[in-house]
Amino acid sequence: MQRWHIRDIILVTILAIFMGVIFWAVGPLYAVLTAALAPAGLQPLANELLLGIWVMAGPLAGFIIRIPGSATLGEFLGSAVEMFLGGTWGASTLISGAVQGIGSELGFAAVGYKVYNWLTLTLSALTTTLVTFLWDYFRSGYNAYHLGFLLVLLVVRFASIFVFGGILTRLITNLLTRAHVLPATSKN
Amino acid sequence: MNPSLKLATVVLIAFEISFTQVLTVNLALIGFSLIVLVVQRIHFKTLLWLTAVPLFLASALVWSLALQGDASHHFLAVIFTRMFVYVYLGATFTQTTQPLALARSLEQNAKLPAKFAYGFLAAFNLLPKIRAEVATIHAAALMRGQVLHFWSPQLYFKVILAAMNWSDQLADAMTSHGFVEGAPRTYAVTIPLRRRDWLLCGLGFVVVQIGLFVGLP
Repeated sequence: MQRWHIRDIILVTILAIFMGVIFWAVGPLYAVLTAALAPAGLQPLANELLLGIWVMAGPLAGFIIRIPGSATLGEFLGSAVEMFLGGTWGASTLISGAVQGIGSELGFAAVGYKVYNWLTLTLSALTTTLVTFLWDYFRSGYNAYHLGFLLVLLVVRFASIFVFGGILTRLITNLLTRAHVLPATSKN
Repeated sequence: MNPSLKLATVVLIAFEISFTQVLTVNLALIGFSLIVLVVQRIHFKTLLWLTAVPLFLASALVWSLALQGDASHHFLAVIFTRMFVYVYLGATFTQTTQPLALARSLEQNAKLPAKFAYGFLAAFNLLPKIRAEVATIHAAALMRGQVLHFWSPQLYFKVILAAMNWSDQLADAMTSHGFVEGAPRTYAVTIPLRRRDWLLCGLGFVVVQIGLFVGLP
């Protein structure tokens, strides 16, 4: 098993900050979506739709830096950046970051940090969805929603995480593989 | 107060109130945080921003909960105030702590390996450069008539290459300056961990526990 060296630590942190800066630009979109959906009582949908973007640092870091813990660290550090920049969720940003990071880490752990392909990313999206949903179930009061609406939220959340953490991450890592920055992965 | 201990206290309290529903404690925490922020002379504009954003989000969330669920008024009030506790409590930490002090404290007091503390710090100090790089990548693409969105793989591809390049250079630079992973280190600046810090932290916890479990509304 590979160990953490200073280069990897700096890389995962810079990556997390980069993601934080890019997603900073998504903030206004979140506000607009919230404002548009709120009157119909659909505010959480804005959250679910965009969640995939915010949790992308996890699978991306996990896929690029193939050391156990990199997905957790990437996502957690991203949230630390967000908190210092004055993110909207304040102190709970750090907890969310840790929760999301552990969520995507579970996907990589499930294949023993040996397989890096579609299966890994899909698993990671699935575990991220379940773990973060459980956290929101308590934090954001999701337990008060009717079951039907709750299921809609769950499905939308998985779709969003799969699109960004799965498909987009795969496209990015394909580019990196073609540039010989990442080792070629098993075809899948 | 000691940065590591302060961070732990803030995060643990935020974690605890995520699973409990005591309105009084939420309000007390908001009041306490506001007092701390005012004593620390927070800028009025910052405070306004810290209030406006959660006000907007919390209102939207509570409205949705009221329409799509069967929550009681008490529960809605708890969710509404919870958002402000997160933000104000988080601000009491971020507004009073420098990243450098936190990194030093994490290394000295929390026994985080030096390679992590200084690795994080080195990268965090690149923040302005990182922002500029994202802008450069956008501009360079525009010159070729290419618009990069947050869903464009090319944007991330370029960002990752820059990150890899910089991390190599930074790691080399640190090695050149004599940084050795795992080697024993001395500290130019020591971050004290006083008995007073433990007392404040412990007291805060006990008060919150009493508030949460004594049966307040």
